[in-house]
This record gives sequence, structure tokens and C-alpha cells, in this order.
Amino acid sequence: MMAMIKVPQDIKAKSRVVVLAALAMLGLSACGDSEPLSSGGPATFRRLTETQYRNIITDVFGSHIVVAGRFDPLVRTDGLLSVGASKAVITPSGIERYAALARSVAMQVVNQQSRALLVPCAPVSAYAPDDTCAKVFFAKVGRLLYRRVLSDAEIEQHTKIANVAGAARRDFYVGLGYGLQGMLQSPDFLFITENTEPNSAKDSTERLDGFAKATRLSFLLWNSSPDDALLKAAETGALNTQDGLEQQVDRLMSSPRLKAGVRAFFTDMLALDDFSTLEKDTMIYPAFGLAAADDAKEQVLRTLVDHLVGRDADYRDLFTTRSTFMTSALGLVYRVPATVPGGWSRYEFAENDPRAGIQTLLSFVALHSHPGKSSPTLRGKAVRELLLCQKIPDPPGDVDFSQFNDPNSPSKTARDRLTAHSTVPACAGCHKLMDPIGLAMEKFDGAGQLRDNENGSVIDTSGEINGMKYSDAKGLGQAMRADPSATSCVVNRAYSYAVGRTIDRNERPVISHLEKSFADDGYRFTELMRRIATSQALYAVSAPPVRSAEATNEESKS
Amino acid sequence: MYMKRSDQMPVSNHSQIKPRVWMGVAAMLGCLLATAAPAQQAPKQKQTLSFVVANWDNAIYQTKFMDECPDGPAIGNDENWWRWLSRAEKDKQTERGLTQPVDRRFASVLRGPKGEDVCWNPTVIQEAPLRTIKGKTSYGFNLDGAGDDAATPKSCKHENFTGVDGASGVDNQMYRLLGCHYGWRHNGVLDTFGNEERRNSGRGVVLIEISGIDDPRNSADVSVAFYRALDSFSIDSAGRILPHASYRIDMNNGKPRYGAVAKGKIVDGVLITQPIDLKLPFYGNSAYAEIDLRDMNMKLDLTLGDDGKVRGVVGGYYDFDKWWEYMLKIEFLIATGDWSCPALYEAAKRLADGYPDPKTGECTSISSAFKIDALPAFTLHTTETAENRK
Repeated sequence: MMAMIKVPQDIKAKSRVVVLAALAMLGLSACGDSEPLSSGGPATFRRLTETQYRNIITDVFGSHIVVAGRFDPLVRTDGLLSVGASKAVITPSGIERYAALARSVAMQVVNQQSRALLVPCAPVSAYAPDDTCAKVFFAKVGRLLYRRVLSDAEIEQHTKIANVAGAARRDFYVGLGYGLQGMLQSPDFLFITENTEPNSAKDSTERLDGFAKATRLSFLLWNSSPDDALLKAAETGALNTQDGLEQQVDRLMSSPRLKAGVRAFFTDMLALDDFSTLEKDTMIYPAFGLAAADDAKEQVLRTLVDHLVGRDADYRDLFTTRSTFMTSALGLVYRVPATVPGGWSRYEFAENDPRAGIQTLLSFVALHSHPGKSSPTLRGKAVRELLLCQKIPDPPGDVDFSQFNDPNSPSKTARDRLTAHSTVPACAGCHKLMDPIGLAMEKFDGAGQLRDNENGSVIDTSGEINGMKYSDAKGLGQAMRADPSATSCVVNRAYSYAVGRTIDRNERPVISHLEKSFADDGYRFTELMRRIATSQALYAVSAPPVRSAEATNEESKS
Repeated sequence: MYMKRSDQMPVSNHSQIKPRVWMGVAAMLGCLLATAAPAQQAPKQKQTLSFVVANWDNAIYQTKFMDECPDGPAIGNDENWWRWLSRAEKDKQTERGLTQPVDRRFASVLRGPKGEDVCWNPTVIQEAPLRTIKGKTSYGFNLDGAGDDAATPKSCKHENFTGVDGASGVDNQMYRLLGCHYGWRHNGVLDTFGNEERRNSGRGVVLIEISGIDDPRNSADVSVAFYRALDSFSIDSAGRILPHASYRIDMNNGKPRYGAVAKGKIVDGVLITQPIDLKLPFYGNSAYAEIDLRDMNMKLDLTLGDDGKVRGVVGGYYDFDKWWEYMLKIEFLIATGDWSCPALYEAAKRLADGYPDPKTGECTSISSAFKIDALPAFTLHTTETAENRK
């Protein structure tokens, strides 16, 4: 079985969108700094990411439940996996894996050690089905897993499975496990389904319903499903009022779990999932082993969270910061001391150290390199695409690398080789965009280790970006800090990540507003998240209504 | 926990690090020009370089055809025993399945007149004199300051060597004693196993911290501290020790458990220390031991080799009792190392040349020299001890 899920598109809706966008523009000009009215984009239907799946299981059942299994990969779309999740394909083997995971998790939940904690009632007999207790369990757990209130029919359905299995196995808890397994395999759990409702009785425009709002909010800020309080706010309609929404956003943002949300966003934005396939030639780079790779990913995430959440500092300073964290494994590659062997310690690169900014950390220079050598092109491409949101076209299919890879080439440095390579007209256009940036990082070898020469030749790290000249990677960081594309990029990515889809054309005014607000807020990322989370735009839906089964029934009755 | 901030640049002459040194110097110079008052000069920042010792080998000077051992290799324990057994006794041993020296090693050492272990009782039998080094060249140092073989207040009469570098009066009786044993010669089982075990176990890891460096090529006054590390080596996937790892120093009651400090100087990139009495941890061949060197000298070439290591020689008077204690601990290797305790003990007593006992006149230590190689590392000054380490 293969299911291709796509966001519904509606041609007719587009005309309405254009009108609303025009109104929004008018609103923007009329109201000064206030958020322009947005008609939003289509509602989405997204597959949970692996991290989201794991987070939900931990949040609902506890960290002692082991989620041991593999997940189908997502396809990065418009710079984000979370956008690719709305075009997700589940392969037959993926379904098998979900089934195995569901069984494993469900049986851990109902086993002897966990049942007292996780099953909120005691059955009349542990050896026979118990309708009442099963319903209590499925109503409680199902609400958290499906991120909405379950209908009686849904509870009944899972209770029936539990009763049949429990009777056959003469074990109430085993039966409960089967029922739970069904829930964990259900599309209602595995996919984030966004239902909509009219903005008001008089209004034909749409917005997300309360539960979909709660879900978007929770995945944006915590990268997990809504907790009980947020679901209650959805149920009572509190999320439909600005005060109620802001209260919940304040609550979510004051939680330590905000860090998980920030980590998830930057893991996606910086394509840190590429670490799962990162390989280095250990004969060339003996210090760069698996531990260093794992720690390199964690290092940049710690640096980001510390800078953006812990210190609430200017996003732009990420490109110049000398502050980071170190472990023993990383110390071997950076060739600096790790003061807490076996653990993490704060580390500040010396003022005269060539490293400053996240673009000089291993998570960038090692990740965007070849297994046995550096790559100015890959690094330049990564800066353009990941940090500045500029698309570099794919290389032509018949590109000739022989000159570049020739081991007998008289060209000793990557700059020399690339200069020769980029004289080919078909290659020159893109290489001009990528190479000057990547060449600034050439003092970091393929593992990200510092070097001062390549094949005995001095490495020239000078270059220019957008008219700003620099002499090394630190200078490049300064140039990136001053580049408005960098801040615009994070705003665009954050919004796209929040809505789980490509930004709709009619949402451009909202993006412009967010970019301006970001600057007004001193480029504080948490404020950007707050503005997105409390915006009307985040919950606006432009495409045709998507109704829950319950709402559809209600509508047909009326 | 704190770390010496001055050791940000762990390697002096590493090609990849050198620019950092110059950048640091340039930056310092820049600050000086920008901020210093005309009458004042900012003190020049001293550097610290730290290393972790990777290999510790007896310094055996050997020639292609083993000319330094004209009598041939030393006769080992098994041969000393087997050759005197009757055919009936040999038959009995063979029938028991003891056909190889390594199988017979426990039986062969019990060859005292009353079945005593001849390692624990090395004087209960007499064997042919040990075959020792007869060559004239050796690694090492002139420990007693004498240019001839005569006794001095700190040494017994002994024959001097000429140093590998041509220096005269080199004292290295340990080489004379062990140099004809295959077990101690180049790639011999004893030092090789010892180094491998230390690498794999992380026990007895020695750190060298050179502080007060003005210039890694030439520095007139530096301090050289020797520590034991709390942490194991960092190893790559091929089993090689990695450079630039961080090691905590083992502390005891607020002081380094091992922490001897020598004064020294760096001349043309070579560190030369003044003599000190030095105790160092040692682990190898499944045995803990303590190296106890009096008048320890060290010469360490701080230029990194192609393998990323610095190399040098450590020499001093090795306490006889501590050395023999180690030999007893590794008795189980007597067959693979191929030595014989009675002959070795007799020769060691005879060749011991350092620190005569005031009462007996018998020397209590043996001049010795060791080749070491070490990797750039970071030393962390902590309050942690081997007992409370995390």
C-alpha cells in the first residue's frame, strides 16, 4: 500500500485569496505596525516526524518507554523536512515498521511495570475484558495521541478490539495493548490532520479549529502534541480569543520544553538530519569518529539554544559568536581542551582563533564537505541555501569533474582547482555564487580541523559577498551578520515550519510584517516565535473547508 | 576545575598550529601598540605545552648484526633449565604435555635445590654469567658527571658508554644488563606488550607539562612537570592514540599525586631538563609498578614527527628494588621475554652503579635510559583523584 497525501488545492479559492491579500495590504498600510490580515494558506495533512513521534510517546507514556525502530525518511521540500512531511509517502515497509513500533510501545505501556502508572483504572478482573476501564483508558490516552477529543464511536471501536483480544488471551491488559496498538497505527495519530471551521457565522472565511490550532502551536513551540491544558483551551474555545491564545503561548514559551521546539526547528533549517549519513575517512581524519559526529550536531544545537533562548540574544550574532560548548570528542578535532571529560563544558574560542560563528563549527564545515576533503562548493551552497534561503540550481548532468579531481593537477589548492573548473561556462554561473563563500572556510579541512596550507601552498581565504569583502571565515561571518537575507531567511523558514507548508503568495505581507517586527525586537528569535504563535495568520486557512467527522455530522443535521 | 589558559596552543612546531602562534603573537603585538602606555610594556605571555606519553621503551642501542652482543643472545630460563635435565626427566615433562617453553614456564622456574622459585629466590642457584652488552655506544646521560669508569660519591665503578650523539661518560648499565635479551630489544615482547596494555587500559598514563615558554624554539627557563592522568587515552578506530586529547591530572589531598617538576631550557626546539628525582606511575604487562629514577634527565625534541609525535630520551638511576619488584610481577612472561632470573639478578647486582649504600658500598640503583614518544595533549588541573573520578 502506498499513500500519497497532498495538501488540497483549490483554484477557486485563489481569487478570494488575491482579494484578501489586497485587503491585507491595505490593512497593513492603514494600521501601521499591526499584523496585516491574512487569509492564510491551505490546511495541511502532515506525517509526524521521527522526533515528533518519539516526543509524543515520551510525553504521553514516559521516558522509560523505549521507541526502538526506524522511520521512513522525509523529503526536504523548500528547505524544510516539515514541509516535505505534507507530501509524505508511506511505503509498505514503512507501514510494517509503524506496526512493529506500535506493538512494542503498546506492550510496554501495559506490562507489569508500567500498567499501574499508565492505566488510570483497575479492571474488575485482570484476566477478562472490562468495558468500563478500557473506555476510560482509551478516552484519556486517545485524546493525547489524536490531539482531539475522540468520538464515542472511536472509543467503542478500540474498546471492542481490546475486549476481543483480552477475551482470547484471558488478559485484560494484553487486550488493552492491542487496542492501543491500533491507535498508534492509526492515521489519526501518525498524521497531523488540520480541520477547519468558519471564522464566524457571518463569515465565509475559514480558520483552523481549536484542536488544529492547539496542535500547530504545540508542534511549533514544543515539537510535540498538545498537553492536557492546551487541549482544554481548544475544547473551551479559549484559543479562539487573542487573550486565551496569548495565555497559552506564554505558558508554552515559559516551559523548558521550548528548547525542544527551538532545537527541532534548527535541526530542520540547518539540515542536521544529514548527520545520520555523514561519513568521514578515518584514515585521513582519525579524530573524526562517530562520537565527534554526534557531538558536533549536539554542539550547534546547544550553541543555538544557549544563544537564542538562554541568553535571548540577537540572531545575527550567531554568525560571529565565539561561544560554544565542547566535549572530549570534539576537543580532539578542534584541538582545544575539554574541561569536563565525558561531558559538556562551555567553551569560548580565543579572540585570535580563526573560528567564530556557527558557520565555522564542525556541524557546518565538516557536514558540508566530502568524506576525505573539504568542499568550498558544498559549503558555499549550504550558506546560500540553508542560511540565506537562496536556491542554487542543480549542476548540469554532464558536468566534467576530471580537471577538478585530477590528482596530478598542478593546482595545489581548492581555489586553483575551482578557478580552472569554473571557467567552463555552464558551471561558472553557479560557482560564482557558491565558491567565494566556501573558499573563506578553506582553512578548515574536510573534518573541520584547522589547517594553514593545502599541499604545501598557502590558503587564500579572501572573498566578497554582496559587495562586502572579507579575508577569512570570521570576516564572512561579519558579512553574513550584516546581510538582510540572513534574517529574512530565518523568518521565512520559521513561518513555513510553523504552518507546515510552503508560504502562500498571499502571506507575503505577513512575512514582511514579521521581518520588520523581528528587527524591531532586536532580532530575538524567541520573540519571532511568539509573534508567529500569536498571529492570526498562523491559524488562517484559505483553501476549502476541511471538516472533522463530527463537524460534518453536525452540519448535515442542521 | 580549571585549565591553564596559556595552553591553548598545545603544539610548538606542528605545521597546522604554527600560524596560530604567530597570529597570537601578532594579536598581542597589536594590543601592545594600541593600548600600552609608552613607559610600560605588557609582560610577554608565556606558553604551556603539554604532552601525553604514548610509548615508554628501554633505550636499546642495537646494530644490524647484533655486534653489541658478541657472545650471542642471553640464555633464557627454559634453556638454563632444560639443558640440565636428564632424558628421563625430559621425557616425563614431555609426557605431561609440556613441550614448549611457554608451557613449561611455571615448572622451569621451580628449579631451586628444594624446588624453590628461582625468581623469588634468585641466589639459591648459580648460572653461567649473563650475556651482556659489550658494545661501546648507548643512549643515555652522564649521570655521575664522571668522564671515566672510576667510582664517584654517587656511583660505583662501572664502564661508561659513548653516547649515540657522541657524548662521553654515558651511564646506562640497564642497557648493558638487558640489551642482549630479545624480549627487551627492538619490537621485543616486553616493551611492546607494556605499551599496548597501557594504551588499551589507560592505566599509568604519564603527562608532561612544559610551562613558562617564551618561544617554543628557544626558551632559557622553563618548568617541566610530570603527572599521572586520570583519563584513558583517546583512541581512533585503528587503535592509534589521538593527539590533542584533554587529560585530568590525578590529585591527592589537593596536590598532584605525581607531580615532580624539573627546571629546563629549550634549545633549537629541544627540551633539556636539569636532573631531578622522579617517581612516575607505570603499568604494563599486567603489572603496576612505580618508576623511581634519581637524577632524572630528559631530552625531548619538540618538533613533531610525521606521525604527530615528539620523541626523546629519559635517563636516571633506577631504584634496584623497585625494578626487581617489577621483574617479579611479570614473571609469567619469563618464557616469552626469555630471561633467566638467577643470571639476571646476579648481573644486575654486579652492574648496579648508582648510589652506593653507605654501609655496604653496594650500589642500590642502576643507570638506565628510556626512549619515549608523546603526543600533544591538554592537561586539566582538577581536584579529582583516582578514587573519586567520574
